[in-house]
Amino acid sequence: MKFDTLIIGGGLAGLVCGIYLQKHGQRCVIVSSGQSALHFSSGSFDLLNYLPDGTPVERPFEVIGALKQQSPRHPYAKLGEDRFKELSNCVVDFLAEAGVQVVGNPEQNHYRVTPMGTLKPTWLTFKEQVVCEQEDKLPWKKIALFNITGFLDFYSRFIIDEFQRLGTECVLHEISFPAVEGLRQNPTEMRSVNIARLFDKQENLDELVRALKTVETDCEVIVLPAIAGLSRDNVLTYLEERVNKKVCLLPTLPPSVPGIRAQQQMRKAFERLGGVYMLGDTVLKADREGNSVVRVYSYNHGDIPFMMKNVVLATGSYFSQGLIAVPDKVYEPVLNLDVDFIANRKEWYDMNVFAPQAYEAFGVKTDDDFRGISQGQVLDNVYVIGSILEGFNAIKQGCGAGVSILSALYVAKRILSK
Amino acid sequence: MKQDTKKPFDVIIIGGGATGAGTARDCSRRGLNVLLVERFDIATGATGRNHGLLHSGARYAVTDKESAEECIKENMILRKIASHCVEETDGLFLTLPEDDINYQSKFVDACLQARIRAEVIDPKEALRLEPAANPSIIGAVRVPDGAVDPFRLTSSNIMDAKEHGATILTYHEVLEFLREQNRIIGIKVLNHRTKEIQEYYAPVVVNAGGIWGHNLAKLAGVNINMLPAKGALLIFGHRVNNIVLNRCRKPADADILVPGDTICLIGTTSSKVPFEEIDNMQVTPEEVDLLLREGEKLSPLLAQTRILRAYAGVRPLVASDNDPSGRSVSRGIVLLDHAVRDGLEGFVTITGGKLMTYRLMAEWTTDLVCKKLNVNVKCDTAEEKLPGSREEESEITKKIISIPKTQRNATIGRHGDRAERLANNTSLDNSLVCECEEVSVGEVKYALNELDVHNLVDLRRRTRVGMGTCQGELCACRAAGLMTSMHKYCTRRAKEDLASFLNERWKGMAPIAWGDTLRESEYTTWVYESICGLTLSQKQEE
Repeated sequence: MKFDTLIIGGGLAGLVCGIYLQKHGQRCVIVSSGQSALHFSSGSFDLLNYLPDGTPVERPFEVIGALKQQSPRHPYAKLGEDRFKELSNCVVDFLAEAGVQVVGNPEQNHYRVTPMGTLKPTWLTFKEQVVCEQEDKLPWKKIALFNITGFLDFYSRFIIDEFQRLGTECVLHEISFPAVEGLRQNPTEMRSVNIARLFDKQENLDELVRALKTVETDCEVIVLPAIAGLSRDNVLTYLEERVNKKVCLLPTLPPSVPGIRAQQQMRKAFERLGGVYMLGDTVLKADREGNSVVRVYSYNHGDIPFMMKNVVLATGSYFSQGLIAVPDKVYEPVLNLDVDFIANRKEWYDMNVFAPQAYEAFGVKTDDDFRGISQGQVLDNVYVIGSILEGFNAIKQGCGAGVSILSALYVAKRILSK
Repeated sequence: MKQDTKKPFDVIIIGGGATGAGTARDCSRRGLNVLLVERFDIATGATGRNHGLLHSGARYAVTDKESAEECIKENMILRKIASHCVEETDGLFLTLPEDDINYQSKFVDACLQARIRAEVIDPKEALRLEPAANPSIIGAVRVPDGAVDPFRLTSSNIMDAKEHGATILTYHEVLEFLREQNRIIGIKVLNHRTKEIQEYYAPVVVNAGGIWGHNLAKLAGVNINMLPAKGALLIFGHRVNNIVLNRCRKPADADILVPGDTICLIGTTSSKVPFEEIDNMQVTPEEVDLLLREGEKLSPLLAQTRILRAYAGVRPLVASDNDPSGRSVSRGIVLLDHAVRDGLEGFVTITGGKLMTYRLMAEWTTDLVCKKLNVNVKCDTAEEKLPGSREEESEITKKIISIPKTQRNATIGRHGDRAERLANNTSLDNSLVCECEEVSVGEVKYALNELDVHNLVDLRRRTRVGMGTCQGELCACRAAGLMTSMHKYCTRRAKEDLASFLNERWKGMAPIAWGDTLRESEYTTWVYESICGLTLSQKQEE
């Protein structure tokens, strides 16, 4: 199997990289072992919310210099200020072409609403979801909030309280109808994706319309948990046209319906461009010649190797098993690349779960071109992107999606310019 | 709260561990008006931080005959009165090639002398009974060990006490003893939830504070020389063994592997710790390594089994009164009548002992309290079954047959015959809050309404929410949502509570956070911090 580029990992980073390369004439394959972080999405992509020292960031473009000083090996530091700006400016259009509609501006963070009703800064938010320009104010004065009776992964009580605190009146409506009751017969079924599957069917969507129509006339907007539009397009437009109101979504606890949809859209875009997406396969080992990886073997393909000019490693962090922690070390299991970690396990953790944890910033070492390093030697054709990278704490700095997207775009361009 | 402060109590019991709860049960069954105060929740000290081993007494047979005899008697009683808290697994004492096989006959003799059934079996037979045992064993003895759930046991004792009129105040800390000359006449307590200070009076006050009883005694003006002994344990993510595994040698570190519910536990280490540390026990990497090394000798499967948590309890070892150096300690029951010992009337301390003998300790204490109060009623706690253990499982099953099977079995496992409270569950109530442990909305509601739940950690103790492999990944948030919707607390407190619940879970995970445990932690952090926006400040506001 010969390809220009083999991408290991089919999450946000892998897909962005694959789509870009494919669009510019390369022949790519993505090998994905299953779910990615997109399945647990907040409904937004963060670029940079805090500097490593904890300083809040409102305007990401203005702080890349400071970031570089605090964390010289941060992926954004490796990109440098100019490239950081150039790449992040083109993301909205890039994603739109890939079928993912987002709003936002890298020069100025906006605010998203969490499933608990609080506002958090972010960069891009799925177009169907609530977006706020200010951190202490919602764009509406009166909201009708709907939830499915007994759906435990959406916290209407929390949301109402928080919204009230921000000066917005919020009235809760709980809805149920026969199809929902059917779901309830099995105690584990009342979860976001299962509900969303119901609303992919016309008759259930119309039940929803009927329920939404009962709302008071003086509310400005109807807000629903993100449980519609899994595989159906333009669900919100459909609803809005029928109830004559603006309709918005709020994220739920995982799994994330909009996140799964985005993953599906991007995969389709990649395949439409001619890319090969191998789902449910796992890369096992690689053969090297000198400083290049020349053949890669996977579980499903046995001794038939992938042969390619470039390898992009986008296998994610611990959860996705891009990084593996054992009692005395952290390693990268696919290509055995060098990992930046602290040897003494005691120093991996802080006993306060909300404090920065050292382990969160461990990751695969690269040179400034995001090329992987093996036993101190930079590899010529192995690039590393996304949350597996060293030098940043995605959760504390609020930069996980940004690092994935920007490192993916940078590496794609770098490969094309070879 | 319905306390009649004017009517004095007959007895005040300080401490909501197994001993305090057992004493409250015994006293109230004998007709006394009981008040029990506990600083945190029930079973939060040593009671909730041990193996959950229903000792046959075999472990002590060689070294401490008296304890061994007490254990086997109580073992048989608990099987009867607390059947829903007990699992009759039996135990094996294994001799490894590195152990002295001659110890086995000495061990069996001592067991038989203490009237503990001890049967030497062929190692092959032992491996057939327990395939998880180390295949290289050269000897095995079968004894009537078992597993006991200390949370459930304590909770049932509390339930029975309440049903006999006892007042139970959790989150109430003793600030001061009220005295009249040489007599303790009551206590001054701080209600941690409302921050109110109140006084309660009774002619007898019982100190059942476990290791914390050391400082309570000091507060009352008497001196008991206790030594805090830390014991660390590891919980594994699934049940490797079905029979308790012990080493057939003199008791040492990490030589007991106990199955319980869906998990198993290896422990313990044993080390003296200073009193300053007893409120914040942390398991060190060295202890983890030791537990794993020794545990794998009992069952090599542990090497491939995911560790869920590490935790440590503090045993109260009591120095003999005639040995101020503290070297000669007793693991036996210590009941001190401070009137006789120190000339302080109205104050009794019960300490030492072990979970296994909590009922006997309660009986002795209640006998003494009754003697002081001139009450002459016989103890019936060895015969009367605890709430939850009074009906056959088949009977309870009939009552709640409409609940889906796995959920039904889990609920009966946790609440015994009290599971009938869920008989009127609707399909909304059957919805699962916690998939790992099959905890339903209905069960959470029952716990919130009837079992003195004030926060998520209390809820966890009563329902196992958040105790499965995911350690509270999604269920904690759902449970907080339910508590809010049932107006248990406001949303601001819910967030603080959620933050402290997660911190409590993390404390047990950090010492073993690698492999899948670290994956899970990373994911949990992602869900709560990134998606939900829960932050450090919520924790600090507390």
